[in-house]
Amino acid sequence: MEVGQMQRRLIEYTKSLFMEGILDDQFLQLQQLQDESNPDFVVEVVSLFFQDAEKLLNDITRALDLQSVDFPKVDAHVHQLKGSSASVGAQRVKNGCIAFRNFCEEQNVDGSLRCLQQIKQEYYHVKNKLEALFRLEQQIVAAGGSVPMMELSF
Amino acid sequence: MLLPTALIPCWYSMISRVERQVNLNSHDFHSKLQYEIENTAKFLHPINSSATNLAGVLELSLNGTKLSFSMIETKVAPPLFQAWSTIPYLSQISYTGLEGLFFSYYTGQNQTLAVYSNSSYNSRSSAPNVKKNFNCYIQHVNHETGELYGNSIECPPLNLVNKRWFQEALNSTNGYASLETGWNNSQDLILLSSARINGEGVISLGFSAKVLTARFTSIDRQGGSLYLATKDGKVLIEELKNTHMVLAGNMVSVQLKKPNGEQKVLGNVSCIIKDGSPRASTLNIQGTEYMFYCSSLDMVGVQSVYVLAFPQKGLVSLVRKNRIVALALLIVIITSMVVSILSFAFIFVRAAKREMHLCAALIKQMEATQQAERKSMNKSLAFASASHDVRASLAGLTGLIEMCYEEANPGSELETNLRQMDTCAKDLLGLLNSILDTSKIEAGKMQLEEEEFDLAQLLEDVVDLYHPIGIKKGVDVVLDPYDGSAIKFSQVKGDRGKLKQILCNLLSNAVKFTCEGHVTVRTWVRKPSLQNSIIASNRNGLMKYLQCLFRKSNEAYNDLEAMNATQQDPNAMEFVFEVDDTGKGIPKEKQISVFENYVQVKETALGQEGTGLGLGIVQSLVRLMHGDISIMDKEMGEKGTCFRFNVILGTCENVSCNNAKAEDLEMVDGSHTPELTLSTPSPGLWLRTPSSKLTVHTTPSPKVTTSHVVLLIQNNERRRTSQRFMENLRIKVSVAKQWEHLPSTLQKIKHKENHSCHNSSGKSDLSSPSGYLSRSASNNSSGVDKDVPLSSMDGSDYILSVFKRTTPKFASSFILIVIDASAGPFLELCRIVAEFKKGLHNATCKVVWLEKPMMRNINFKHIEEDLVDPNDVVISKPFHGSRLYQVVRLLPEFGGTLQGNSSKLKEEIKFQAEKVPKDPSSSRSQTYIENSSTNKHSTQQVELQDHGSSIEETKRKSMSPIQTLSHVGSKPRSPPSNGIPPKEQEIQEIGNSNDEKPLSGKKLLVADDNVLLRKLAVASLLKLGATAETCVNGQEALDLVCKGLSDQRKLGASKMLPYDYVLMDCEMPMMNGYEATKQIRKMEKSYGVHIPIIALTAHTSGGEANVAIEAGMDVHLGKPLKKEHLLEAIRYIDAK
Repeated sequence: MEVGQMQRRLIEYTKSLFMEGILDDQFLQLQQLQDESNPDFVVEVVSLFFQDAEKLLNDITRALDLQSVDFPKVDAHVHQLKGSSASVGAQRVKNGCIAFRNFCEEQNVDGSLRCLQQIKQEYYHVKNKLEALFRLEQQIVAAGGSVPMMELSF
Repeated sequence: MLLPTALIPCWYSMISRVERQVNLNSHDFHSKLQYEIENTAKFLHPINSSATNLAGVLELSLNGTKLSFSMIETKVAPPLFQAWSTIPYLSQISYTGLEGLFFSYYTGQNQTLAVYSNSSYNSRSSAPNVKKNFNCYIQHVNHETGELYGNSIECPPLNLVNKRWFQEALNSTNGYASLETGWNNSQDLILLSSARINGEGVISLGFSAKVLTARFTSIDRQGGSLYLATKDGKVLIEELKNTHMVLAGNMVSVQLKKPNGEQKVLGNVSCIIKDGSPRASTLNIQGTEYMFYCSSLDMVGVQSVYVLAFPQKGLVSLVRKNRIVALALLIVIITSMVVSILSFAFIFVRAAKREMHLCAALIKQMEATQQAERKSMNKSLAFASASHDVRASLAGLTGLIEMCYEEANPGSELETNLRQMDTCAKDLLGLLNSILDTSKIEAGKMQLEEEEFDLAQLLEDVVDLYHPIGIKKGVDVVLDPYDGSAIKFSQVKGDRGKLKQILCNLLSNAVKFTCEGHVTVRTWVRKPSLQNSIIASNRNGLMKYLQCLFRKSNEAYNDLEAMNATQQDPNAMEFVFEVDDTGKGIPKEKQISVFENYVQVKETALGQEGTGLGLGIVQSLVRLMHGDISIMDKEMGEKGTCFRFNVILGTCENVSCNNAKAEDLEMVDGSHTPELTLSTPSPGLWLRTPSSKLTVHTTPSPKVTTSHVVLLIQNNERRRTSQRFMENLRIKVSVAKQWEHLPSTLQKIKHKENHSCHNSSGKSDLSSPSGYLSRSASNNSSGVDKDVPLSSMDGSDYILSVFKRTTPKFASSFILIVIDASAGPFLELCRIVAEFKKGLHNATCKVVWLEKPMMRNINFKHIEEDLVDPNDVVISKPFHGSRLYQVVRLLPEFGGTLQGNSSKLKEEIKFQAEKVPKDPSSSRSQTYIENSSTNKHSTQQVELQDHGSSIEETKRKSMSPIQTLSHVGSKPRSPPSNGIPPKEQEIQEIGNSNDEKPLSGKKLLVADDNVLLRKLAVASLLKLGATAETCVNGQEALDLVCKGLSDQRKLGASKMLPYDYVLMDCEMPMMNGYEATKQIRKMEKSYGVHIPIIALTAHTSGGEANVAIEAGMDVHLGKPLKKEHLLEAIRYIDAK
């Protein structure tokens, strides 16, 4: 594939992510922070997010499986997840967390489980998308091109 | 139960004992009676021997001689008489010889008689026929001597010799006793005791049975009956009625005599004595039980038997009967007692059971209620937080639309669509805001945010906001200064935002529902009093006091306490606001429901949008501010609605009075008025007119001519309020309702002026602003004495205390003409004014033109030079609030510099109108500075941007989810008193933010437990040119800061900060951000430095921000960290 075509595809793909509301402008901020001094900043941060989120999701799942659910603990986990997702701009996960916290306040186990399922889904969704995005970027770099910067048109 | 069962045997044994005792007693009594009877018999026993003794005596005296009658008379009769006289109970005494000789004394007819027979018969030889001749005589006896006297009466002879007792007595040696009939006429029974003398005769002593038995019957037998009979069956006493006793051997058979003569044997009584006492036997005679005792008795020698019969109905039977009855009664009582106890217990148990049941039900209900409340609360909370997020995204949407709108081609369809989208989004935002407010109030999360603000400024802002909308509809929105009290207590402390919200809500309603006329807003202040402030919960006074008495620690009481506290605060004043419109009005019956949520009055709401939440929120907010809102009744015939609400606000120190008392004092005695710096409604920053420093006191001398104001204003309400305001300031006011009336009004004034002011100098003292300032300063020090003692306490006091009069140094009168430029054709108006000025000789005149904002219809260029005075002032409508005050200050009494129409001084009057918003829905503001220059005869308009407003605007958009920052940041930035225009500073900062590395050289500490966020923050900071250190929790942060501080000290640069800023996550393990901040603040005190700490939270609510600020953090930022926010925060910190 030609580099230019790939670059266009990348831009289209990124745009679609924004259009679908999977990412928000925080991701752009991340991209802006990336420069020559740390060229893999976005990837690093996002993979940190993946680690963090997976750990938190496991914790939440385990906590919700217990007979008596410790809601303050779950709430704290969700709060952290919300912070992490907001930091990388994973908007849908963040929104899911907001809803989840309401259920935590109500101490609603069913709602929490439902929400958790939804968050997990969103998380895997955004993970797939981002991984695809990074693959594309790597392909561009491998092909000798440069990763085009998204405009702040959002 | 135990007691009765124990009592019954006890009682029974007692009764038995009593019965036994009674039995014993009766037995004793019976035996005693028997004993007595026997005793009596014994007592009579000696009588028995008297006959034998007498016989012995006679035998001796006769000595065996044969007795003849004469011998008897001489020898026997005297002893007999002696014996007769001496022996008691004796009723007859006799001597009977075998031969038939007989001599006897006896008692008959209460006399002692003697019976004798003097002829003896030869017992052996005589034939029975001889006996027939045997004679017997009765003769009276002298009962003292025994001598016989009187005639002897012959009587049938008594044949005694053949009688059995005579034979028996003759044969026995010891005498013989028997029961015989006496020989007197009455045939009484006598007991005859006889003894023989020498075998030839028998002495017999007769005792009357009656007398003897009387001895027995006289014994008190206590109801007992006695039966006495001799052994041979002769009955002596028979007391028992209808019975007959038959003696048979040792048995006595009791027989019942029936009326028909039959006899029935009832039973036998044995008379055998056993164990020394007679045996008792019981018989029933005619329904009565009798006890029978039988015993033998020796009765004066006669063997006899007596029977004692006692009826059983005596004490014993009574006791026996009573025992049974009592027992029965006792059993009945005990039974009834037991029954009652059981039934009582049953009832008690049932009641207890029911109570338990009710209790359980109550508890269940209460739990259910609590659960429901909790659910509702949770729902409200969730709702509040959810809608908060919705609002954030909506704000983003509007921002985006705006951005697109700017880029779109003007006039294109896209632009139109975008505009419509913008409107829709804004409507949606407004709606959401009201829902959010409601849910917030419901969740009880609404809190007052106290801050100092300028109330007059706020009022004017709000009114100005709605003025253009009103004007579009043809409705004038008027701010009525009323009595000026609101201007005086203008600097207040309270929740500015909420007050503004209330006013906006009411005003928008008023404007919305008013099609013609005007909307008036008026405010006044009064002392807070218990009566005036309507307590939110409509509790009556008694209850309130009761609650105070009982000190119940419920919420209502706390509320009350809080309210009382508010009222006791000496600085707290009650502000009353009125929003009065001439719209459709609200029907009386709907007035109550108007304040309920989701209620709209249907008749008036036709064609009007809205959720009906507005007034409900307004009411909740007003109550939150310790006030109440109500709809005031209007006069008949007046249109529209008048909402009135009151709130308690704290007044600030720069108001002269601290409490109500001091205020009174000041009002009455004005000489103690401290210097009153008028805080102009517009911040001093923009006010460059010298009049803003107006502090001059003056005495209005009657000699000095006062100024005159002519008002030509179209709107009635505005004209009225302006006129009243000025009149309260003791300014002469003339009004013209239409421009056609203006010439005549002016004519009148001119006429008056030209007459009254002949000797005035006509020249004005033209003082420069600086000169004025110095003058005012000098006046300030000395002018205190000249203060008017304000004796009257009318509404104008407030205004007068705000606008201090000054003594003008000129004598000529001043005429101010205020003309609404749209009231008539402008050229025509100019001409009229010019005409008026020409004719004026010794008065100065100034014209103020009122014109619509944004509509520059006054085109001075087209007007001839002589028509328009260069000193004329043009101000934009609306003519109220600060603009009204500015106009008033043009008057010389109130410090206005005078420019006579003759003066050619080229002085600029900068007149500045307040911020006039273009559109009430956006808070973008603009400032106009009007420049009336003298030589160009034109009024230029210079428009200045508010300090970087467009930049501000974009910034606000991007930070809209985080209100706290803009809120915190804006507070201290309000009027910088140093007078440096903040423009440069602002621009420089903006320049900084545009720079790539605005933070270069700065060193920051990032404390966050999340790797991701930490990395992000560090990257952001590096990008901004700063260096960053990281740590993972509060403890580490504290240690790092501590180390840094001590290192700095070692280096001798203790005032240098180890970190320029600290970015602190709030929620961290080990030690959270709040705690770490507190520790750092504590520690840095000893070093005398202050390290700025920026809080980072993912919470977007205001509560977290408050906690952060309380913990000592400087700024609160929401996650994720954004460059702009950080820079804004740092700017804010630096500005501090």
